[in-house]
Amino acid sequence: METQVLYNITHQETFGLFIAIYFYLTGLSAGSFILSTLSYGFGMEQYKPLGKVGVVLATILLIFAPLFLLFHIGAPYRAWHLFVYLNWSSPITWGSFLLVLYPINCIIYGIFMFKGNLKLTRLFGFIGIPLAISVHGYTGFILAFGKARALWNTAIMPILFLASAIVSGIALMILVCLIIGRFFSKEKTINKDLIFSLSKMLAWMIVFDLFLVGSDLLVLSISHSDAQAAFHLLLGGNFSFLFLVVENVLGKILPFILLVVPRFRNLVTVTIASILVVVGIFFMRYVVVLAGEFIPLL
Amino acid sequence: MSNKSKKYAMLFDLRKCIGCNTCSIVCKSENDVPLSVWRAWVKKIEKGHYPHVREFSLPIVCNNCEDPICVTVCPVNAGIKRPDGIVYIDPHRCIGCRYCMASCPYGVRYINPRKKIAEKCYWCHHRVDAGLMPACVVTCPTGAILFGDLNDPESEIAQVIAKNAVHVIKPEMGTSPQTYYIGLDIEAVETVEEEK
Repeated sequence: METQVLYNITHQETFGLFIAIYFYLTGLSAGSFILSTLSYGFGMEQYKPLGKVGVVLATILLIFAPLFLLFHIGAPYRAWHLFVYLNWSSPITWGSFLLVLYPINCIIYGIFMFKGNLKLTRLFGFIGIPLAISVHGYTGFILAFGKARALWNTAIMPILFLASAIVSGIALMILVCLIIGRFFSKEKTINKDLIFSLSKMLAWMIVFDLFLVGSDLLVLSISHSDAQAAFHLLLGGNFSFLFLVVENVLGKILPFILLVVPRFRNLVTVTIASILVVVGIFFMRYVVVLAGEFIPLL
Repeated sequence: MSNKSKKYAMLFDLRKCIGCNTCSIVCKSENDVPLSVWRAWVKKIEKGHYPHVREFSLPIVCNNCEDPICVTVCPVNAGIKRPDGIVYIDPHRCIGCRYCMASCPYGVRYINPRKKIAEKCYWCHHRVDAGLMPACVVTCPTGAILFGDLNDPESEIAQVIAKNAVHVIKPEMGTSPQTYYIGLDIEAVETVEEEK
């Protein structure tokens, strides 16, 4: 049956670019924090240089992230309502507390680390890990609770967000370690062992992330009609270039090849791969948020 | 004002609807709805090939669902489900985060361009509380819209729903919409505009 819409009203976009940026920044922050606890929490000595870098990055990124929420909401002077009128069935209410507790914990953890109090650093590192996972995982729940949108409303969303958070966190950490080693350290040399062990970690996290994206797509392709529409939007519609080329080929598959093939392994390719990953994960957030609400509902 | 024993519902009899948009216009003037946004509108689709063509109208208002996802996800409890079934937004509490708009399966909410908070149809609760019918109901020229209390077996809407085949938009969303339709066309619901 040939049908076409003659007249309809669609209202403006709901979650836009600012929310995508916010998700991206919390992801980077959570990833950096988890890397910083590898040595100070779990005692992996080879990652010791990451500790201080990680906690500083995590704190700075998470102080900037909520600013984008304030840009997004219509009535920012009413933001205090979030802490007074609580609705525990809403992920945003969970988030408003996580966004306060997590940076406070980051700062305490960082202060003890810089003072050299290893015991308390370890304690606040362990408190911080569930907070870091929650502060990014809850953003996955925000989208998963948007039950009208087939692309968002899947249980894989929080874990997909966490995997891409760790991927982008490792890539950012590689870049920061390269810059610090090259320009700001006393010896002006780069700690190659650290960079290559991080790049190995990054490569296998990319594989896990690709697996999650693939399983999400596979289930979308055989699910109900809205989900199939979302599947076609990602693979053949307006978002196919960003999704396939920028996010997955340039942002995941190419960096993976650069990182695992031994012939390519040097500092230049690691740098290129990390830049590609950091950019690619930004477009992952962008595609998930905007493609999810792209298809009209009625 | 609200009474616990009441359960309001709205019914669009699409056999009578002529797609004249009177409901859209009276809603604008009754509720002071700004330009570019609508609380009630008539979606129109065209089916078939010439000369076998038919236009179908689908008037859309908020479904005032029995299990509203917008109220579940509102982080500041600005969305409120009244005991009589009307879902409304507290304009003094809403922060304009748009989460309700993202989760509503019907796309009936909008951000007021002046106040920057979420708004939607609430079946003219100010009129209902004063004992009047919603504005669209009283102005519909063909009487295609009914509004009333489903718990009162004597009310017209309860009798019409009891005796006719009725349908709601997207029942699969599990929201139990309380805006019913007679003669709802599946294509009118499912056809969406081509992506631009």
